[in-house]
Amino acid sequence: MKKLLKPIEPILSKGFDRVESFIHTHRSVKFLFGSIFGAFEGLVRGTKETTQTQPFIRNNYDVKRFMGAVLVALVIGWVFPAIYFYGWQCVISKLIVSLIIGVFVVDVLWAIIAREEHISEGGFVSCLLVPAILPPQSPLWLTGLGAAFAIIFRNVMGGVGNNLVNPAIFSRLFLTICFPSLLVTGYQTPFVGIPDLHSLRYGLDAVTHATPLTAFKTSGEVASFLSLLFGTAAGSLGETCRLALILSGLWLIKIKVVNWRIPVSYLGSVLVLSVFFSLVMGKTVAPPLFQLMSGGLILGAFFMATDPITATYSQNSKWIFGAGCGFVTVLIRNFTTLPEGVMYSILLMNLLSIPIQSLMVKIKYRI
Amino acid sequence: MYKEKENSWFKGGYNFFDTYPIRFCNIVEKIFSDDMPEIFEFHASVQKIQHVIVNLCPTEPWILPNWVILEHKTAAFLDKLKEIRVRYFPDATIHIGINKNENEHIVETIDYAVSVEWMKVYKLDAKYPQDDPVILAKVILGVDISFNKDTISQGVVILDAQTVSAVYDNCILGNQVNSRFIALSGTGLKENEIINVQLGTSIEKMFKGRFKEGIKYRVFVNGPLRGNEITDLSQRIDWSINNIVALDAMDRNIMFPMFKSNELALTTNILGELRRCIYCNFCDDICPVDLEPALYYHSYGRGEKHKARLYNLGKCIECGLCSFICPSKLELLKIIKECKALDK
Repeated sequence: MKKLLKPIEPILSKGFDRVESFIHTHRSVKFLFGSIFGAFEGLVRGTKETTQTQPFIRNNYDVKRFMGAVLVALVIGWVFPAIYFYGWQCVISKLIVSLIIGVFVVDVLWAIIAREEHISEGGFVSCLLVPAILPPQSPLWLTGLGAAFAIIFRNVMGGVGNNLVNPAIFSRLFLTICFPSLLVTGYQTPFVGIPDLHSLRYGLDAVTHATPLTAFKTSGEVASFLSLLFGTAAGSLGETCRLALILSGLWLIKIKVVNWRIPVSYLGSVLVLSVFFSLVMGKTVAPPLFQLMSGGLILGAFFMATDPITATYSQNSKWIFGAGCGFVTVLIRNFTTLPEGVMYSILLMNLLSIPIQSLMVKIKYRI
Repeated sequence: MYKEKENSWFKGGYNFFDTYPIRFCNIVEKIFSDDMPEIFEFHASVQKIQHVIVNLCPTEPWILPNWVILEHKTAAFLDKLKEIRVRYFPDATIHIGINKNENEHIVETIDYAVSVEWMKVYKLDAKYPQDDPVILAKVILGVDISFNKDTISQGVVILDAQTVSAVYDNCILGNQVNSRFIALSGTGLKENEIINVQLGTSIEKMFKGRFKEGIKYRVFVNGPLRGNEITDLSQRIDWSINNIVALDAMDRNIMFPMFKSNELALTTNILGELRRCIYCNFCDDICPVDLEPALYYHSYGRGEKHKARLYNLGKCIECGLCSFICPSKLELLKIIKECKALDK
């Protein structure tokens, strides 16, 4: 790779220099395209800045690599399995629409209007999550709208680093309110078996099935553990193959992008509480393992609740944050009319993370 | 007596030997000063000393390695230490902390320590900042000493190998000590070398013909982590200088930096773009004294510098690891220093 790139380096570098000097000499051009150029340059070219204060050397780990790791984990965790289960036509088109509308239209326009200095790479993560939490048969425009909402919400709240709640989940909440019918239907039955060309493209044609949690709510039917683990039960586009999600989530924990305390406390509290309620109330509540493996819990616990910006900062309060998510999830799933509560629980705990954080800091430092 | 202690207390820290392996040339060159060389002096303290810590565990790869002073004669070195103890610290216990990877030194020191009462040996993990006085005292003696305070007033003396050997030559043998070993390393130099230089030699003379040609370099005294940058190379060498590091400034754009981590390692390039804090917890994971540097950053950002003091700011030993690791490239150490300055 290095050798392949070597001959084009001087040409590219010269080109960048020329464009950069052109942009900086023309104000209107800088106003319109400065941030896009900055973002593109940041992907290809390193920075010029040197350290001015101690320590004079820095680690070569930056936010781009941090977000890149999440992107890789998401692609392995849901994009590849979803292509197998629902066909590439469904998955790829949604991804393209989501990324183009979210990152290349809304984020770029925002950068121009709000005169931001650079476009953040965090938008890719949000836009990769938006299709994952929508039903497989949801229309393309819904995905685009979701991505646009996510990016707008995030930027309104101050951009990456200042957002109060997870933008992808917030946009799904918005879509649930605006288009409730589109979000409760369209759960396509995943394709199972040896894939052929037709299935790789379309999946299983337009056969829909209720999600395991809805099925339990209406008829008391419990899906098998293995079907949930491998993803052969219906569900949102990215949440079905729990095995891939768990493996990529564990990889993120290993490279310290995801803090292990949140998935452990989230899944642990769901398990403990569902065991408790099963013992107390018997068959009216869903069995513990079924609760653990169904719905968006695994995706939420490994990829959404762990978003470092919206979770609490200090290590001890992460336990409370995760446990709170689990508590709300179990409550909503078992004692309300809603079948699934991961989205609401993460949103609620995102909002509560600020008081939890300040309380824990006060206790720790005895202020 | 022999005790094994491997980070029983300090969490966090960072192993720089893995990230920046630096190998020194075995030949030690001698450089003489043009003027009269200065002479090393040692003043015994009037305070009663209870503990002497001899630090044989350098934690930064550019620090002078132990073999230069010990020369594979650990027993002879320990004999010197014995004489010094008899003369200056008769009541003190000598604690020797050795890098756990240096087997030769450990075996010989333990052999020596078994027969004497006044010596204790500790195997230490060469994780930065293990050799900081605060952490050494905490790990070895289990006492808290505050940062930037004189340890002698608390009955603790911390010596490095070179000082031990100089004190012996000067005070016991009565020779004049006017030179010391200095480690020269970094990406700005042709070769990593150790030189024996007379005190008072100018840095410029020392580096003559050693810089790589055609690059912009920056020179740091006592390492790029805790040391200072010097722009005036006519400065003279004194006893406090252990090593000098010259780094490639790398103040230019590099194409495809993701494929060139070797080229960019150990340069002063900031290696990323400045972003907002993303609350990644890297800084409090790496902090050796269990602080949360991001809290200071947020207090500072809100314009509430005085509030930073509430979060145990006084415990900070200014090792700079938080700034080193920060993926958003925030100047956390600079902020901490500003908040501390407000305190006074």
